[in-house]
Amino acid sequence: MIKTKKIFLEEAELIAAMQQRKKIGADALYEMYSGSLMGIVSRVISDTEIAQDVLQEALVKIWNSIQQYDASKGRLFTWMVNVTRNLAIDKVRSKDFRNHSKNQDLENHVNTIDELRNSVYKPELLGVKDLLEKLKPEQKIIVDMIYFKGYTHVEVADELAIPLGTVKTRLRMGIIELRKYFK
Amino acid sequence: MENIKSYIESGILELYVLGDLSMQEMAEVEQMAQLHPEIKAELAEIEKAMNNIANSLTVKPDLKVKAGFFNSISFSDEEEVGAAKAESNEGAKVIMMNSRKLNFYKFSLAACLALLLVSILAIINLNNNLKASKQQIAELQNSNQNFANKVNYLDQRVSSSEQALNVLSNPDYKMVKLNGTPNSPNSKLVIAFNAKEKKVILDLHNMDMPTNDEAHQYQLWALVDGKPVDLGLFDASDSKNAFVKDMKSIGVAQAFAVTLEPRGGSVNPTLDKMMVMGAI
Repeated sequence: MIKTKKIFLEEAELIAAMQQRKKIGADALYEMYSGSLMGIVSRVISDTEIAQDVLQEALVKIWNSIQQYDASKGRLFTWMVNVTRNLAIDKVRSKDFRNHSKNQDLENHVNTIDELRNSVYKPELLGVKDLLEKLKPEQKIIVDMIYFKGYTHVEVADELAIPLGTVKTRLRMGIIELRKYFK
Repeated sequence: MENIKSYIESGILELYVLGDLSMQEMAEVEQMAQLHPEIKAELAEIEKAMNNIANSLTVKPDLKVKAGFFNSISFSDEEEVGAAKAESNEGAKVIMMNSRKLNFYKFSLAACLALLLVSILAIINLNNNLKASKQQIAELQNSNQNFANKVNYLDQRVSSSEQALNVLSNPDYKMVKLNGTPNSPNSKLVIAFNAKEKKVILDLHNMDMPTNDEAHQYQLWALVDGKPVDLGLFDASDSKNAFVKDMKSIGVAQAFAVTLEPRGGSVNPTLDKMMVMGAI
């Protein structure tokens, strides 16, 4: 890989560096992943200040719990995205956050979720918005709820009053659809 | 094979990647992935897709996030250089720490010795100062004593002179001149006699008597109606300290005489040792 201004480590090297708590591990973690993790947080939390606090918290949590990451169960990035996403979703669902930002109660606004998303989209995310627009509406809402809103598939099935199996297959079809655009 | 296909198509692998499964379901997916390469490959594809989606969302956070992150964590390679090296080379690390400790002790010892040396020098210096001060005090005390002695001496001289002056200026005193006898023809002595106040005073200043030895002393006698009366003892050396000397009182006398007697005086005068005498 090309060594530019950015530090780049192969995934195995990065994991080793983080496990040994070497500074280069933290540098690489930040350079390689802070942007995309910030993107995830920003999808969940529209307030940039709060989103950045959550991102920082997520980075610290990733650094401190790297020993819990099991490479045999998936990619490092997938694990980091899940840690970050869960933190962001916990934040949004916390009483403190609702009082503070007077955010809409997400659980009661499932039907207006598209509008909410639209109002939160940032110019740099338009590509993804376009991407999600390519999905069929029934796929889009499920991908959005599960991936960005932190709903479990059981909650989605409840909320939308559709069978569990249908939620799972629609999620799969939606993701397969997205996979095409990254070929 | 049909089973595997429907397992993949159920959407459970997507939920696995999104972390939306129970522990039990996760274990099942992991077991299936171990058994069936197709499932493992599909999982990798889903992960790639999810990562691509995430990457496409990239938003650059403010630099303060980086600062906050780095301030909240600690590194193994910040305090100890080459912690990773040490892992593969325990011995070298131990030696390094020892030499570092040794260096610390060396510096400590050197610092202690230096401090000790400075302290000793300071003590020697102070001790010298103390000695000099004590010497100065002794000298001052000595000169003070000398001065006091001198003042005492002068004081005596002054009071003695005053007394002499009083005697000379007082018309009640009679000057009686005692001349040398054949025992000591050149001797002479003047006595001031005040019959009114019954005072007999020896004029030491103008006394001219041979120096008496340690075993003998001069004794002054008054002759009253032919009988000698003791008026006290004196030495030739008394003239060094005073001008005059008070002798014993007597109100009536016809003559005075001085004999040389054993030290302490005698009850009766030794007449053959009479040195001077004079009548009023």
